[in-house]
Amino acid sequence: MRQMKRLRLLVIGALALIATLALAACGGDDEVGGGSDEEVAVVEKGPVEGEVTISNWPLYIDKGNQGTVAEFQEATGVDTTYIEDVNDNNEFFGKLRPEFEQGNSGGRSIAVVTDWMAKRMYDLGYLQEFDLADLPDVEANLRENLREPDFDPERKFTVPWQSGMTGVIVRKDLAPDVTSINDLFDPKYKGKVTMLTELRDTVPLVMKADGVDPNGASKEDWLAAIDKIEQAAASGQIRDFTGNDYADDLTRGDVVAAIGWSGDAVQLQADNPNIEWRMPDEGCILWSDNMVIPVGAPNPSAALEFMDFVYDPQVQADIAEYVNYVTPVDGVKEILAERDPELANNQLIFPDDEFTESCSIQPTLEGSDEQEIEEAFQQVITG
Amino acid sequence: MRWLRRHGLSIYAGAALAYMLIPIAVIAVFSFNDPEGRYNFTWEGFTLDHWENAFGVEELTDALITSLELAALTTIVATVLGTLLALALVRYEFFGRRAANFLIVVPLATPEVVIGAGLLSLFINYDVSRGFSTLFIAHVMFLISFVVIVVRSRLIGFDRSLEEAAADLGARPLTVFRTITLPLLAPGVIAAALLAFALSIDDFVISNFNSGTTVTFPLYIFGASQRGIPVEVNVIATILFLVTLAAMLLVLWQQRRAERMAAVRPEEV
Amino acid sequence: MSTARRRLVPYFLLGPGLIWLLVFFAVPMYYMGELALRSGSLDEGFGFTWEFANFPDALSDNSTQFARSFLYAGVATALSLVIAYPLAYAIAFRAGRWRNLLLFLVIAPFFTTYLIRTLAWQTILSDGSPVVDALSFIGAVPDGGRVLDTPGSVIAGLTYNFLPFMILPIYASLERMDRSLIEAATDLYASARTAFLKVTLPLSAPGVVAGTLLTFIPASGDYVNALFLGSRNQAMIGNVIQNNYLVTNNYPDAAALSFVLMAVILALVVIYIRFAGSEALMGDEGGQTR
Repeated sequence: MRQMKRLRLLVIGALALIATLALAACGGDDEVGGGSDEEVAVVEKGPVEGEVTISNWPLYIDKGNQGTVAEFQEATGVDTTYIEDVNDNNEFFGKLRPEFEQGNSGGRSIAVVTDWMAKRMYDLGYLQEFDLADLPDVEANLRENLREPDFDPERKFTVPWQSGMTGVIVRKDLAPDVTSINDLFDPKYKGKVTMLTELRDTVPLVMKADGVDPNGASKEDWLAAIDKIEQAAASGQIRDFTGNDYADDLTRGDVVAAIGWSGDAVQLQADNPNIEWRMPDEGCILWSDNMVIPVGAPNPSAALEFMDFVYDPQVQADIAEYVNYVTPVDGVKEILAERDPELANNQLIFPDDEFTESCSIQPTLEGSDEQEIEEAFQQVITG
Repeated sequence: MRWLRRHGLSIYAGAALAYMLIPIAVIAVFSFNDPEGRYNFTWEGFTLDHWENAFGVEELTDALITSLELAALTTIVATVLGTLLALALVRYEFFGRRAANFLIVVPLATPEVVIGAGLLSLFINYDVSRGFSTLFIAHVMFLISFVVIVVRSRLIGFDRSLEEAAADLGARPLTVFRTITLPLLAPGVIAAALLAFALSIDDFVISNFNSGTTVTFPLYIFGASQRGIPVEVNVIATILFLVTLAAMLLVLWQQRRAERMAAVRPEEV
Repeated sequence: MSTARRRLVPYFLLGPGLIWLLVFFAVPMYYMGELALRSGSLDEGFGFTWEFANFPDALSDNSTQFARSFLYAGVATALSLVIAYPLAYAIAFRAGRWRNLLLFLVIAPFFTTYLIRTLAWQTILSDGSPVVDALSFIGAVPDGGRVLDTPGSVIAGLTYNFLPFMILPIYASLERMDRSLIEAATDLYASARTAFLKVTLPLSAPGVVAGTLLTFIPASGDYVNALFLGSRNQAMIGNVIQNNYLVTNNYPDAAALSFVLMAVILALVVIYIRFAGSEALMGDEGGQTR
């Protein structure tokens, strides 16, 4: 009798397996990933109407009834939905990759991602190109030093949203003499420093502190720096690797020095004047977050219109006032000089060339090097 | 000493309960905070502003409403499906019982990351666009197992004699079910529904994978935790707690009244 | 009701629920298995190459995180049991009219969402907080040490977050217990302690088994607590899986890891159930047809 029951169980199991296999065989890819081999679509600018959805990072635009989105809606009549669901480049990419694979954008017309992620998406065929001629304000007002970046020299698929600097954020009262990334390895601060989970910010900074230029560094240079970080992490020197959440650690004083982003510091200071973003002795890392148009984006014409809209210095001034990162648009400093002189003179928001002299542009990695380095760094982050 | 013995348990239990409510207290306290900037980590001053303007953060309120709608719908569906399953499993002998049991229990043994990612792969393969409907599917899926467990444990200790008595008195099976089984099962079903509702509102991991552009309350908080959680979040969390507390007290009060008006109870016969 | 129709009843009851689970749980698991047997990279594509090596590799490359996860989950489960049992007992036997209210207070924290609760603990356990000061005063925290970003805080978070899963099943089986059995024991001159140990405790075993399983299993796969309350030295296997899926986009490894995790958990559960008695969980005393 027992055997009968066992046999029955086996039969059921086998039937179930076959059923699910059959079901699964009805759909499904042979290949997963690998990008698209199709021609890159180029957006043709048509009439501006209808609806548009924009995906951006949190706290990156001035909201509300007088905000930029509302202004845009009024000016163009386009029903605009603005969602803040980009919290992390990789996470965003991971969530949407399957859609992009299929040529869908998940309803979005614009997404905002950092330089290197934009490049990766482009290489995989997930982005559409556009013509700068359709973006007159961008063409006219884009800052000089952002016009021909390595990863998109003709600005065919990216338009900067905001730029930023990665340096070291310090508790002036608890760690007054931290001025270089190497100070984060000082045993005096053991267990009280953090670094970023962002590979392309943390490792280049460590490399710079050791005198290596991150742009053009070899894979060995990267891996050596990662090794140095790993040892510090294992010994407890580095307390943790964070995203923006270094903010709470710094505010509470659990951490006295953190690798962090310039825009956050301005806000943190409001709550605690002892928090200060410092330009490391060896220089910072410069990066941009860019607007891109994904494949399958509905209403790309409205998307282009929005991109152009925010390059009007008056509009951008509102954004810059709220966001506190580095604006990519010329002419904003003058406008803000009248409204809020303190803001206009803030080096973190309008850095002059001298301030960013020894800074490096965030490096991009390629191919199999990229994968190896990313995996090595992941080992460090997840212990 | 004897006093300690007699009340030791209650004291311990009280401490345990207090432990459970400590974070709620912290959340509530910080809802009155008045931070200068975006971050709500250190106490800076007392204000009622955020309470007055509790629903002022638009995305937050939208996310909350989405979560509540989702939880309500999924709870109803999952409770119905789960109760039916539990009834079948406990009261009937049929071909494939063991396998069915297994299929219901395995999701509980599967990490949420795995369930979430697996569902996502499925939706992609069949070209289903992610949004409220995929969230609905995902939530019902993982809630069913919980409902089954709760209802089943209620069914197992069920006193069948009342049903048999009704049948003996000529009631048809469906009538017996409607008038005897269901009411007696009600506490278990309600408990399962409450649990399901709580789990649905609370879910983060599975939702993260399958939400598309839809933002639920936990997803909003996760995004916000990176850039500074507005005080209104604390306010709403406290409100949720108080509202459910009030609802519960109301239910209790009703129950108390019903009990007092009820006829003779079986044990007293 | 005709015999034929009666035999079909269970299938109608089962139908909707089982189909839902089959389509939305079993099929995705198939896809996950298929994914685990692939190799390659995101740029070049993941081809299906029967890469069985992914499974043992997943286990060996991440053995530290696996061990850590089960250690933390185990300790959290044990602590949870110690805290939950007396509370469940008190609610079942001593609470009287307040029973439902207390039960509700047990579930209530769930309505404030997992993330907020964990973040609240982050505030409570931060280096300069009064709680930590008190703990170091009584010597629970070493001098110059901290509570946050240590195994302790992650375990504390796990224990806290899964308490209701321990309390409710134990309460359920205690509440259903036939009180007359305890009365009989005391009538036979058993002390309160003996009555508890020999009657109540064994009869509540099903609840304890269910509770420990419902705590241990999700706790081992958790990553939120380690994310907010721990540092990279406390990373659990859930963090690794999430990273592989969402950061390095290494899907085959992520899928293989998921399967290995599930397999280990299921193995532990099977051993545990055999040890504790299978009727407790699987409800084999069913089949109560008329």
